[in-house]
Formats: sequence, C-alpha cells, structure tokens
Amino acid sequence: MATKLNIKDKYRLLTRDLDWDFDYQDRKEAFPQEDFEGIKITDWSKWEDPFRLTMDAYWKYQAEKEKKLYAIFDAFSQNNGHVNVTDARYVNAIKLFLTGVSPLEYQAHQGFAAVGRQFSGVGARVACQMQSLDELRHVQTQVHAMSHYNKFFDGFHEFPHMHDRVWYLSVPKSFFDDARSAGPFEFMIAIGFSFEYVLTNLLFVPFMSGAAYNGDMATVTFGFSAQSDEARHMTLGLEVIKFLLEQHEDNLPIVQKWINKWLWRGYRVLALVAMMMDYMLPNKVMSWKEAWEVYFEDAAGSLFKDLARYGIVMPDYVETIAKEKEHLSHQAWWIFYNFTHASAFHTWIPSAKELDWLSEKYPSTFDQYYRPRFELAAEMEKAGERFYCSGLPQLCQVCQIPMGFTEMDNPTLISYRDSVYKDDRYHFCSDGCKTIFDDEPEKYVHSWLPVQQIFQGNCGGADVETVLKDYYRINMGADNMEYAGSPDDLRWKAWKGVA
Amino acid sequence: MSYQITIEPTGDIVEVEEGQTILDAALRQGVWLPFACGHGTCATCKCQVVEGDYEVGNASPFALMDMERDEGKILVCCATAESDMVIEADIDVDPDFAGYPVEDYHATVTEIIQLSPTIKGIHLELGGEMEFQAGQYINLSIPGVEGVRAFSIANKPSLKNEIELHVRHVPEGAGTTYIHQQLKAGDKLELSGPYGQFFVRKSAPGDLIFIAGGSGLSSPQSMVLDLLEAGDQRKIVLFQGARSVAELYNRELFETLAREHNNFEYVPALNEPDPDDRWEGFTGFVHEAAVAHFEGKFSGNTAYLCGPPPMIDAAISALMQGRLFERDIHMERFLTAADGAGEATRSALFKRI
Repeated sequence: MATKLNIKDKYRLLTRDLDWDFDYQDRKEAFPQEDFEGIKITDWSKWEDPFRLTMDAYWKYQAEKEKKLYAIFDAFSQNNGHVNVTDARYVNAIKLFLTGVSPLEYQAHQGFAAVGRQFSGVGARVACQMQSLDELRHVQTQVHAMSHYNKFFDGFHEFPHMHDRVWYLSVPKSFFDDARSAGPFEFMIAIGFSFEYVLTNLLFVPFMSGAAYNGDMATVTFGFSAQSDEARHMTLGLEVIKFLLEQHEDNLPIVQKWINKWLWRGYRVLALVAMMMDYMLPNKVMSWKEAWEVYFEDAAGSLFKDLARYGIVMPDYVETIAKEKEHLSHQAWWIFYNFTHASAFHTWIPSAKELDWLSEKYPSTFDQYYRPRFELAAEMEKAGERFYCSGLPQLCQVCQIPMGFTEMDNPTLISYRDSVYKDDRYHFCSDGCKTIFDDEPEKYVHSWLPVQQIFQGNCGGADVETVLKDYYRINMGADNMEYAGSPDDLRWKAWKGVA
Repeated sequence: MSYQITIEPTGDIVEVEEGQTILDAALRQGVWLPFACGHGTCATCKCQVVEGDYEVGNASPFALMDMERDEGKILVCCATAESDMVIEADIDVDPDFAGYPVEDYHATVTEIIQLSPTIKGIHLELGGEMEFQAGQYINLSIPGVEGVRAFSIANKPSLKNEIELHVRHVPEGAGTTYIHQQLKAGDKLELSGPYGQFFVRKSAPGDLIFIAGGSGLSSPQSMVLDLLEAGDQRKIVLFQGARSVAELYNRELFETLAREHNNFEYVPALNEPDPDDRWEGFTGFVHEAAVAHFEGKFSGNTAYLCGPPPMIDAAISALMQGRLFERDIHMERFLTAADGAGEATRSALFKRI
C-alpha cells in the first residue's frame, strides 16, 4: 500500500514546479533587490511554506466567507444598524479606522505584491502573493462595512484623499511609506513580522472588541472575517524571521536593527489606538495600559524569550514604553482636543464617569497630571470658551506625530531631541525616533511633513481654514470641531428623541 | 472523565479531560499541533476528525465554515471530546519513524543494579518480543501508584526480550520511591510500549551529537549502542553530564566503546566534582562541554538531547547560537509527575523546542 501523503508533501507536489529556471537570463538580474540590504540567503529550499493553500481552495473559502459577510452588512443596513450603537461618539473611532487604518491594508496589498516579486525563492513569492490578495480583500470589505455610516455621519466621505494629506493621517501613512520604500527583506521584518505578528493584536483587537462592546455588528463581523486570514499573515511573519536568522549569521545584526526600528515605528502609530481605547469608546473594553500588558508584555515577552536563542534581544526602549503606557493615551487625546478644528473627527471632554474610569485605570498618573487639565477644559467649555490651538504644531521628523509627548521621568516637560544633518537641524519626539533618523538621515530628510508643507505653501491657501477646506476637503463645521453640538450630535439626538 | 485522542499521521496519543480543549491537552502533553490565536478565530489549528464524537466549541463561523463543519473539521483550540477520537493534523511524519505497534507486556524484574547513589538500573524480562527504535520509551504501571510512568529504554533494540531502565529517585515521587525502595527481582510489572518521537534520524546526513544529563543517559545509551552495532561510520560524540564522579554512571562502558571505535568519542562533564574525585576531565555544565569541544560551531551535525528540562533548555540555546537549528535538534525532556503541565505562555516560534 502506498503511504498516505501528509498535507505538506501534497502541497509540495502540487506547487513545486511553479518556479522556472533562467537559462538565458542572469538570475541576479531577474531579482535585482535581493542582495543590497546585506541579507545573505544561502539556500532558499530551506524555506518552509508557512501555509499550504492552493488557489482553488482559496477562492472557495473566501467566496463562502464573503457571502456570509455581505449578508450581515445587508442586514445591518436594512435594520438601520447605526442607530443601535451605544452612542454616536463611538462612530468617531471608526472614522479614525477608515481614514487611518483601512488605507494601510491597501498599502499592504501593494507592498506584498511588490516585494514578493523580488524574492528568488518561490515559496516566499507565493506566500507574499497570497497575503497581497488578502489585504486587497480586507480594504474592500472594510470600506463596504463602513460605507453604511457614511450615509448618516460626517467625516467618512473623503477617506482616501484625506489619508494622503491630513496631518495626523500622515502618521500611519508615512509608517507604511517608510516600509515600502525599504528593501524587500526589511519590508518583511517591518510589516510581515513586527506589524502583522508582534503588534497586530494591539491594532485590530482593540478596534474589533470596541465595535463588539459598542453594538457595531458590521465592523465586528468584518473583524472576524479578516482574522481568519491573519493566521496566514502571522505564520508568514514568523517564518521570515526564522528563515533569515537561520540562513546566515551575518543576518543577525541586520535583523536586530530592523526589529528595533519597526517595533518603535509601529508602537508610535499605536498612539492613535491608545487614545481610541481610553477616550473614544463609550463602552470601554480595557485600558490601553492593560492591552499593552496583555498583548505586548506577556505575549511578545514569550516570543522574545524564544528569539533569544537566535541571539535576538528585546529593544532597550521597551523600558521607555513601559513607562509611557501610563501617559500615552492622555497625551495623544490632549493633542487632538487642541487640534480638533483641523481633524475629520470630533473630540470631547470625557464625562464624569469616564474620568473616574480613567482614574481607576491609571491610579499613578491620571489624577496627578491629566484630570485637572480635562476639568479645566470642561469648565472653559461650559463658560462658552471651548478652545482650539491656533498655531500649527511642530512634528517629529520620523513618526510625524506633533511634539506633544513628554519626558517619561518628568511628565510635565515636553520631550525634544534633535540632530544636525548637512547643516539642517531635525527634531524628534523621542530617543527611538532620533536613533532611526541618525541611522538613515538621507531617507528621513525627505519626509513629507504636513505642517512644513503648509508653511511652504504646498497645500494651497493663505490661511489654515482654506487648507482644511480645500486641500484636506474637510467639511467645515461638520467633520471637524467639538462633538457637543456637532451635526452628528444633533442628528443622533433627533433619532433618539432626546433634546 | 477523560478521553484518548489519537493524532494522525504520527499516532501520538493524548489524554483529554472533559471540557479541556484538544489543543490544550496536546500542548501540555508535549505534542505539538499547529496553532496561533488560541481562541477560534484564525483557523491555523484546523484538523480533520476521522472518528469519535466532539463539540466544535466556540469556533468563529468565519474560521470554521459550515461546509467544513459538515466535513468533520474542527479547530482544536476550541473543540472538546465527547468520546475517544482519532484526528488528522497538518503535521509531519518523520521518514525515519518506524511506527512499531504499541503492545502490552507482563514483565518480570530480573535484576536491579545501583548505578549511582540516586539512580538504579532496572532489568526486565518482557515475556514477549518488543520491537522499538533506540530512544523510545515505555509506560510502566507501578503498584499502588495511579496512572503510568514513562521511562526511556536504555538497552539496544536488538535485545528484543528484555528492557533496561534507568530510574532516578525523585524525593517524594511515589513511582520512583516505590522502585527504589520496594521493587525487587522476581516482581511482576505491567508495561506498554514503545512510545515517542525521540529516535536517531538515520537518513539525516552529517555527524551525531548526544547530550545526556542524569538518568537521561538511558536513551542516548541505547542509541549509541545501536549505531555502533550497525557499524555506522559517522562521527559520534556523547556528552554525559553529572554532578560528581559518583553520579557519573556507566562511564567504563563508554570509555571502552571509545577505545574500540575510532568514530566514537565520550566526553563526561561534572558540574560539582568532589575534591576527593580528583577530577581531571571537563568541569562545568554538559552544554558547556559541548561548546568547548566543538568550539561553538555545531552546524552540519544532528543533535539528540535527553535529560531534565533546564539541561535541555541550556543545550538548545548553546546549539542554536552555534548555528544548529530546530530541524536538526531532537530531544526528550524528562519531566517528573510533579512537573505536571507546562504553565508558561509560549510563542508559536518553535514547534518542538
């Protein structure tokens, strides 16, 4: 009796001739980006396919999944699902998701298609192609999931345009631009490993559980549908890092440098998630601090313990992050509270009950540093003096977040770092961002920084209002400004029959 | 109430408690299955049920679709058993695995030898023949002790009628205390075997490294004897770790083999030799002896590790830093009944380590 093939062998036999040899072309010329980063690959045959999926099975499963998903979108829409969310303030969280995160799925789609082309190993190429397809489906289903809200709420209507231009959306956009303009192996460590494996639970789980806790069935269902693909992405991320570390010892310092860089870059993007969790969800899931502890300190802690066998160490700024978890969300929300006139979602002062929740979750910092500030702002608002910051903020040259974060050992002192490169001085929010710049200044001097671009006259308009209206396409007085009294707020109250 | 889950294609068997997920039971019993999220949303751990009753549990309808449920697919991170089951997982069968059938034996103790102050050699006559691969283990039923205890077979497989075990006395361990204090020649014992995925990958090219600690010499002893008997010409190095000379048992056996075979080297390492030992060999932990011997470069070899978990752990790190990776490292961790199930959260980076 012939022995039964296991799934791995079956897949190998099905796919092994998908590659071809180059008999009249130089293989090196066919894969021109494989060497320049210094990564050494000695044997692509050691690549272990992280998942064994053939296209026919892929179409079959995804078609079935999508059928289910769109049935739920339809039901959500027909039942006016938007009036069943906890509170219209919640919708601002998904405005942030659609403008800030969904376009990253599209960037991931393009990124994996591009780097997949660059690997001479067929296994890596096929895996990247599959992920590229997943990411395209994700952006589509996200747009469809949220399109229903666009009919009833402000702030959704120009999401791809805004993603390319608006100041705070340059934070996630530039993160992916940075990865996609790196070499193919760095992209895989940046996105495949650091983002999709180490940080993904801190990005998607908060948004999806946020949706679940706040009655947003469409987004929850999209989340489940996408998560069933994430496993492939996570195993690809793990295979990449093992493969690079096992192929050649010279790869270790390069991979370590990329891990350090991309965990910090990704973490900075998560500042948006931190404030979303602590401030934007009417029904809270857990605090940012708790999420960081569960999904990074515990989960990534055991990963780094295993990676230590390869000689990989935890980046040393992880200690800084551990201190920042007490402050990050409060400082980020305060930045947005100040600049709400320039953003495509609303902000507000947390209610008394929410302030108490924050005090409880952040006992060692909130009452001391942040509560008094929010209470003062609330008083001013009551007196009809809701304020907005009229200047434009200085941005960090690397993460592009306004320079509003503080020193962690002195939370009343703004953290400033700088470097001089070719006679120009560049500014950073942190040691993490400065280190990244100093390593590749030639790359980051080209950063497209929204504030600088406005001052240089590249965003049209003689004043901020014109820039917001014409260049950002913010619907003034509707998309932006304080939540209380906004058209969203008034409509919601009308639907709910409250004054 | 517990059920037995047979995992194909390897034939590994795990015991699962009522309400316990199959994945949890497998990982706790040292059987690796592919997994990632652990809560029913990612579908990495999808398996096919061949027979048996089960509850699919809280699997997301997107991760385990209706048509898959109809085909008898489950996510083992959510599924619980309602009877004994056979499932098929996406795992590899080693081409060197012979898959000898597990059978029950009524064995008789023929001899008990004090190998060291803490380790006894138990010789059993099986009352039948057992085919096994050097490195595998048996499950022994001990009178008055609940459940079975696993012990690696120390003799070479060509002796089919008998079994030699090395048993270290675990203070307050019911099973080993019985063996050390009450068991005597002529006693009858029930056992079953052979079990396990620890055996020499004879098809793997390259030389072989064995690292043994304490009574974890048993499997490597069987493996080395088997290789030398078969006339294997590759280089074989056995590192044996012990605390002191008194604990360094079967030393003469391996010193003799090293003299007789040019391709076999024996390197004992003592981490706390007595002053009276006048020890001139390697002093330090056994993995350090291996690093010193190979000058920190292990690639091209296949390594076999057997002993207590801290020793295995240190050896894996040393080997990996010397560029020998998971696919070329095989191991048997000697857990005691008190060690129970691993409680530390683990990442999905490695399959077996």
